[in-house]
Amino acid sequence: MKKTLTVNLGGTVFHIDEDAYELLDKYLSNLRIHFKKEEGSDEIMNDFEIRISELLNERIRMGYEVITLEQVEDVIKRMGKPEEIFGEETFTEEAKEEYKVKIETTAKRRLFRNPDDRILGGVSGGLAAYMGWDPTAVRIAWILLTFFQITIPIYIILWLIVPLANTAAEKLQMRGESVTIENIGKTVTDGFEKVSADVNDYINSGKPRTAMQKFGDGFVSVIGFIIKVLGVLIAIALLPPVLLVLFILVVVLFAIIIGLIGGGIGLLGGGVGAAFGGIMPFMDWNTIGTYPEGALIIATIASILAIGIPLVALGYLIGVQVFKWKAMAPSAKWVLLVLWLIALALTIVLGINYGLPVIDHHGWHWNSFHPLRRISFW
Amino acid sequence: MYCIVHRQYIYLHYQTQKAMNAENVKSQMRKGTLEYCILLLLKKEPAYTSDIIQKLQEAKLIVVEGTLYPLLTRLKNSELLSYQWVESTQGPPRKYYKLTEKGELFLGELELAWQELNNTINHIRNN
Repeated sequence: MKKTLTVNLGGTVFHIDEDAYELLDKYLSNLRIHFKKEEGSDEIMNDFEIRISELLNERIRMGYEVITLEQVEDVIKRMGKPEEIFGEETFTEEAKEEYKVKIETTAKRRLFRNPDDRILGGVSGGLAAYMGWDPTAVRIAWILLTFFQITIPIYIILWLIVPLANTAAEKLQMRGESVTIENIGKTVTDGFEKVSADVNDYINSGKPRTAMQKFGDGFVSVIGFIIKVLGVLIAIALLPPVLLVLFILVVVLFAIIIGLIGGGIGLLGGGVGAAFGGIMPFMDWNTIGTYPEGALIIATIASILAIGIPLVALGYLIGVQVFKWKAMAPSAKWVLLVLWLIALALTIVLGINYGLPVIDHHGWHWNSFHPLRRISFW
Repeated sequence: MYCIVHRQYIYLHYQTQKAMNAENVKSQMRKGTLEYCILLLLKKEPAYTSDIIQKLQEAKLIVVEGTLYPLLTRLKNSELLSYQWVESTQGPPRKYYKLTEKGELFLGELELAWQELNNTINHIRNN
């Protein structure tokens, strides 16, 4: 027993088996993709549909009530498999080039979280699919890497920012397979059964989730939601002063450059002061000249990056929304993210090292330079 | 000098590798004459798409039907052909193609070109 569908093909109604319908649908969308650029593509597709409907009508008159997979296969054989039609067509060189470019660009891999191969967020599964590694090996690597404290935050960040591969197309992209004529063509020609079953597996990935996994899902969506809300609030709050802050940053940067050129530690201190000023207003700026020069330079640059990158990114985001700037390239985003994480870490470490109150035999006070008595993370 | 000769040789070598396949050459020839044949068929008498397909398949000019639809649409868009919807005995109305005046002029040009090609080939063959 099979489920049937009713379709309108070239103005005639047909009852068609579900699998036969899928094959026919893929065949037609495959052709449609190919003819999309051609003038009169709708008419060409209409011709195809009408002819297919004629051919199927012949079967109906022979007494078959329902269109089956075999009949659709016969019809496709008569009409021609996609590559036969496109192969016989006289391509202009230009069109060929365009076609090639299209295939190449769409075959580009994209990083997704893999919903079909996941224990927590599907990060490892997605990463494995993206890099072509074994997912279990990736998971073991994660566990081994928890030796470094940064590993778990990285995992959580990936979980939050990498999108889940929802559609079949995204799943193909995740594995670096192009979602074009080629693959759909493959579906139609060599073994529709296999590939379509495969695709169905991807679509219906409703494996039951364990309680812990469900908890993980809930946790991530709650955190994600909070971060989004916070982001929106911050964006609204910062919208007016953002330009002012940027202006101040530019001035500070200018001061630092002058300071670096002159080698004047006082100006550098001023830079640190301006950058740290918001965080630690009680700092005793007089002692800053006693700090090691290298640490000061690093602290200055790191703190400016740690504050500046999110602000610039926010400004850019507003620019994209309001002034229709071109969106930032993904690689640029990654570089900025990594740079920001490093700067943030350095700012925190240096800030704790040099910015916290110190307790010694004089009682407690801010920032006195005494390396042995400072709380040290180095 | 050696360099130039060598380059020529490489180029020839490349050409032979690319096309020295009888099937390939034959299919190129068929492709080249397909438009001409369609126009010739329609000059004799207007026809349904399915008739055109049948005749071309009998003549082994096309293998699969799908090749023809884009071609007919292109010829129609270049105003060499026109069609009207004609009732058929079975099923919905179908496209009935005929040659336009512009198409006839175009066909005239192709006829001349074909004659020339034929003469050239006969000339080479017989001398």
